[in-house]
Amino acid sequence: MSRQFDRRAFLRRGAAGAAALAVGPGLLAACSTDAPGADREGAGSSPRSGGTLRAAFVGGGASETLDFFNGPSALDLVRARAWHGTLGNLDPEGPDGVRYGVLKGIDVSDDLSAYTLHVRPGVRFTDGSELTSADILHSLSVLAGRSTLPVYRLAAANFDLASAKADGDLKVVLPTLRPIADGRMILCQGNFLVVKDGTRAFRKGMPSCGPFRLTEFTAGQGSAFERYDDHYGHVPLLDGLELRSIADSTARAGALTGGEVDFAHDLSPVTARTLTGDAKVRLVPTGSPYLVGLSFQMNMAVEPFDDPRVREAFKLAVDRETMVKTVFYGNAETGNDLPAMGFPDYAGSLPRRTHDPERARKLLKEAGADGTEVRLTTGPETPGMVEMATLFVEDLKKVGVKASVRELPAGQLYADFAAYAALPLAGSYQMPIPALSTYQMSTAGGSPSAFGWKDAETDALVAKARAASDPAEAKELGTLAQRTRWEKGNQVLPVFKPNLNAQAEGVAGIREDLFEQFPGFSQASLA
Amino acid sequence: MNLLAFAGRRLAGAAVLLVLLSAAVFAVTAVLPGDAVSAVAGVDASAAQRADVRAGLGLDRPAAERYAAWAADAVRGDLGHGFVGERPVTDILATRLPNSLLLAGLTLAVTAPLATLLGLWTGLRGGGTADRVVSTGAQVLAAIPEFVVAALLVAVLAVWAGVLPRVSVVPLGGTPLDAPRALVLPVLTLSAVGLAVATRLLRVSVADAAATPYCEAARLGGVRGIRLAVRHVLPNAAGPAVQALTLTTGALVGSAVVVENVFDYPGIGRELQLAVAARDVPMVQGIATALVAVMLLVLLLGDVCARLIGAREGHGR
Repeated sequence: MSRQFDRRAFLRRGAAGAAALAVGPGLLAACSTDAPGADREGAGSSPRSGGTLRAAFVGGGASETLDFFNGPSALDLVRARAWHGTLGNLDPEGPDGVRYGVLKGIDVSDDLSAYTLHVRPGVRFTDGSELTSADILHSLSVLAGRSTLPVYRLAAANFDLASAKADGDLKVVLPTLRPIADGRMILCQGNFLVVKDGTRAFRKGMPSCGPFRLTEFTAGQGSAFERYDDHYGHVPLLDGLELRSIADSTARAGALTGGEVDFAHDLSPVTARTLTGDAKVRLVPTGSPYLVGLSFQMNMAVEPFDDPRVREAFKLAVDRETMVKTVFYGNAETGNDLPAMGFPDYAGSLPRRTHDPERARKLLKEAGADGTEVRLTTGPETPGMVEMATLFVEDLKKVGVKASVRELPAGQLYADFAAYAALPLAGSYQMPIPALSTYQMSTAGGSPSAFGWKDAETDALVAKARAASDPAEAKELGTLAQRTRWEKGNQVLPVFKPNLNAQAEGVAGIREDLFEQFPGFSQASLA
Repeated sequence: MNLLAFAGRRLAGAAVLLVLLSAAVFAVTAVLPGDAVSAVAGVDASAAQRADVRAGLGLDRPAAERYAAWAADAVRGDLGHGFVGERPVTDILATRLPNSLLLAGLTLAVTAPLATLLGLWTGLRGGGTADRVVSTGAQVLAAIPEFVVAALLVAVLAVWAGVLPRVSVVPLGGTPLDAPRALVLPVLTLSAVGLAVATRLLRVSVADAAATPYCEAARLGGVRGIRLAVRHVLPNAAGPAVQALTLTTGALVGSAVVVENVFDYPGIGRELQLAVAARDVPMVQGIATALVAVMLLVLLLGDVCARLIGAREGHGR
């Protein structure tokens, strides 16, 4: 276990312990089982095998399908993770920072122009056939390459998927579009899943090689699985798995406390708080890096945000601690105005920006922007977004800005994209993906979602950082690029919130499956 | 036959109305700010990717042209595919609409007899203690928002008494009928609100009917109690109440969103809500048109019932 991981686990347990002291013995007892892998075995009780775990997610309603390349909801990916094999997941303990799935490893050519994926021999599909390079090629270049979903676009933006080739049965060669050294982090983010060569339609009974096989699927209601006994690596402890759609946060919590499910995904902060007194359930928020960033984008194309002093003042005005405390009841972490906190390429060494209303007021005065009028536009796209905006506006008023909030109905903020990109000040959120590749995809080159940020120097620096084979050099260049964003950038990112998941007492092993944001159940067990 | 001609005429009218309303729904989706591109391609998509997706969804064509194409397919029973997930709209309707109809039907089955009883009881004793208690109770109940009623019922029946499940977990591949217990709380919640409104409506028309010379004559003729209420008052009072009840029941099919969310009931209302949020035009269009058709049909049924009652009443006199 690496030192970094130890420390994180320790901090997490420390925080949970502090919370438990406040809530009572039920949760305190729970904390002792909250240790990753090794500790659990050390405790002497081996996890029970058998049983069917039932988990509840938001889901996409009756219009969801089994085609996860075309399914935007978290449940679509969770279902696919249970059903299909994965290239790999990010793992701070792993040798390359990843834990491989159907792969044995990934080699990078010296000039960073090609990645060679080595297939793990002996992986079998449910129809008995062996997984080969053709299956990976089909999944990557045909299915993922054609997907319009943001998660799969990240690969298309970095690799020349159309020119990918199989080299024998056990090797796939993937050319890069430009030299990159961090490609493993993109391919092994957990969302690249492998289906059999030639798969076009996704249906029950199709061959798969994930930990479970699908036995039942009803769109908008849920799916049922049974263990796949021939699963590569290790076979799940559970006999079966049931993934249910329950859209409302309170209803998900109700199903958990009522014993109808064993795991409830992504509760709202308020719902999660109501569960803290219940001894039968336990809150298990996702850990770093699987945190969602809640941010405010300042449009540099309009006044007063064309002035870097105003941008800095807005960043200094925000009271991060209070947001964490009042909106998330302490169940969140403060951000440092940069996305991707916790990923290996995140600039964690930069100084943390503190709450300094005095200096903010001074900067605004210098820029001649004290008393300026600003309207912040946001919408209920993820729990906490509107509450955060309300608090931010109060903070801004305290430094002399005449700020107000406009809340759009659900869905409209991003649906009307042209209007969104033209907003002077917009609330937004960032899904957890690595820092530099994300910057290239959605911020570099004056992209519309960059809100007027256009800086060729930073773009070049990011490209250089990603092309550096030496990790130390890459880190240095990456940090330099992010420092510019931190100093002059147009994003206020005060809070990272976890997915507030909760599970029944005794459920274990979900965190061990990595990629917690879209929980996997291959190592999970029931009480 | 008189009634058949009436129904035929109304049906033709409803068909014309359906076409007009489907065009109106389409117009509304066209003027709604934004489109489905962000829901399909993600917020971070570049301008070129957005244009691609928009063209792929056919959103670059003029609205009138898209409506014409949709209507031509719809007449043949093809309501198209949703933008998100690409499932056929008719599949969604086939799985969700029956659940909503079931919920509305059961609510009606609970509300109608109870409202009749309470309406007769209070209407015939206008001004008495019972009338005042029931009327005030109904007024309070009608004023309480649905989600509060739902929360109260959950607190009492699911959490405190523990006799009912908190959410409607329907077995996979099954319908709510496979888990009848799960239907109780949603139906109770909707009935509570519906009952309050229906009782107040019936009370007024019962009181009016009871004051007519016809009822007065019956009473003087020695007809009393249940016989008076059922044979003489009810047929005269039911007409307007039946129409009001059908109106609320029809509306219930698509607008039980609150109850669908609180109890996670798999109804059509939430599908419509999701589709609107994602700007999924074919889905919104298909669901809204189906709901309009249901509403028109229910109204027609209400009118036919009211007419039948009226006809009987005519013979009775």
